Amino acid sequence: MLNNIQESVLETDVVVVGGGIAGCCAAAKAAESGLKVIMIEKSKSDRSGSSGQGIDHYSGFFPAGTTPQQFLDIWKNMGPGAFFGGADFINFSRLYRTIVNRRWASDELERFGVPMKWEHGDYEVADIYYHGGWTTLRVHWYNVKPILAKAVRDRGVKVLERTMAVDLLTNNNKVTGITALNTRTGEFSVIKAKATVLGTAAFSRCFNPETPQPWKYKYRYHWCPASVSGDGWAMTYRAGGEIGNMEQTERGYRFRDDLTMSYGNVRGDGIEAARLTWDGTETRRAGAELERQGKDPFYYSLTRIPDDFQKRIEVAFADERLVSFKIAQDRGFNPRTHHYEMMENRPNQLNTPPGITADVHFQSTLSGLYAVGDCLSGTHNVAAAAVSGLIVGKELYDTVKKTSSPVVKQAKIEEQKQTVYSPMSVKDGTNYVELECAIRYAVDRYISSYKGEGKLREGIRRVGSLKREFLPKLSAENPHELMRCLEVRNIIEMTELHFQASLDRKESRGNFTRLDYPNQDAKYDGLLLNQTLVNGKSVIEWKKAEPMDMSLREESK
Amino acid sequence: MVDYTSSEHYEEKFEFPLWKLIQQRAKEKDISYIQATEEVLPDYVKTIRYTDKEFVTQEIEKRHRELESLTERQKSGVQSNYKLQ
Repeated sequence: MLNNIQESVLETDVVVVGGGIAGCCAAAKAAESGLKVIMIEKSKSDRSGSSGQGIDHYSGFFPAGTTPQQFLDIWKNMGPGAFFGGADFINFSRLYRTIVNRRWASDELERFGVPMKWEHGDYEVADIYYHGGWTTLRVHWYNVKPILAKAVRDRGVKVLERTMAVDLLTNNNKVTGITALNTRTGEFSVIKAKATVLGTAAFSRCFNPETPQPWKYKYRYHWCPASVSGDGWAMTYRAGGEIGNMEQTERGYRFRDDLTMSYGNVRGDGIEAARLTWDGTETRRAGAELERQGKDPFYYSLTRIPDDFQKRIEVAFADERLVSFKIAQDRGFNPRTHHYEMMENRPNQLNTPPGITADVHFQSTLSGLYAVGDCLSGTHNVAAAAVSGLIVGKELYDTVKKTSSPVVKQAKIEEQKQTVYSPMSVKDGTNYVELECAIRYAVDRYISSYKGEGKLREGIRRVGSLKREFLPKLSAENPHELMRCLEVRNIIEMTELHFQASLDRKESRGNFTRLDYPNQDAKYDGLLLNQTLVNGKSVIEWKKAEPMDMSLREESK
Repeated sequence: MVDYTSSEHYEEKFEFPLWKLIQQRAKEKDISYIQATEEVLPDYVKTIRYTDKEFVTQEIEKRHRELESLTERQKSGVQSNYKLQ
């Protein structure tokens, strides 16, 4: 097979890596302005990404015309629960742009053919307490991905499906394109670009999902699916770009059997679910306390909500994940009579605070490289993905027109090609699933929700050992398996960053809990943890969060 | 109701009303489930009182009062007397 590998060299104005909501929005908008755009997608853009099966909510409308000062005032009132720890982990100017522009983005999405309104002809506002007062729309987005994928193609974007980005290409500290692998044919592509946009989502594959057959379903199928292997983060890091907040994880109670996390699910569309101990007693006590008292497992129950609200849950299933019906029925799960078993409060993904560090224009610390959607540090949910993608797509024209033709280095290309195909030369090597399982075990065992110095140090040693001993021994027999090997490379590198960052923050704050440093330490106030690869070593730098740019305003139509 | 940690609890079979409608339409017209959802969902949504703000507010507030009462009882150390039937 190695003898028949095709190679191609393409040149474009913009290459968008990742065909999810953010990537599609960036590609379509950039193409509208007349730029030549290539979008690559690891699977198939019609149903790829976290929203591949649909979405039932578009959240976080602030009042129209909200100024930066008003935004800050509202934010402070939302309390420490906002954004998994709040102000200490976010670039506020960028956050402001991704939130106050959701009305503008909504209009853009409607132009692309995405339905924002309901059957009654108007927006359907959800009755939800969760976001502390934000307005959230309910949307029928079971077809959002096919619609956006079509919008991308209709605007002349060249889409390379089943194509995974391998690494960034740089020249004089500027990103000038990528290399990529076709996961079906094995074709190797060099894509030279004046601007590279990463829309590769966040990172969750160092954690085990809650599936009924853990030995079988190794890849999550909802709420950050199998594609979320941290590809864009790893590429940025290897090229010398900054990754931020890698000690922060989203923590949540995972449903046993992964019975969907649709919006209308245990939030009951505004009616809070009952939390029950194993004997049916309702409680308001936290899960950790219940575990200490031996009252676990505990359950969320919607059995007493009115039938009207039960039907809303069904609509949420249809909008966000149709397969939920089949999964629930196959397991005999009926929300009217059964309860959702909640697993312990554990980390389930690195998202929202962690990600690629970027400025107010979503440009990373590497010139010519942009990040959108969940890939970006401080971005949260599908609305932010749409907004960030659209803004970058809109603003790239002026930048690209001033950029000279991209130059790439052949030596780097050869090095990356070697990385891609080397598993095919390994006989009797390590299976990529085995190595990924070993990484996840190390994370479960040595990081988890409650961290400590000893476990973190041991975890760093273990993951380092896995990387040294088994990463070079990964073997593959076809292009699909080459993709999986590349993913595991990204997973192990990002897992290392997660461990190192967790070790460096010696306090507890937001969702980050160190049992050996249980209190918040004022010396970390206003500081963000950043990691960069320098001369082959990971360097941590604590940087002050940038002040809000008070001149910012909403995007105009 | 069957004890929800028993095996029988998980063997009870039922059908979601909306899913049943989607499957029926898909079979009748030999179309995909997604295509059937596009046809079925608008009418199903009309049977739900989304725009009845009085009803929705009443239900949410009723639940909110239950939770406040429960929180108070648990703060005071009184065991909750709310058990699922």
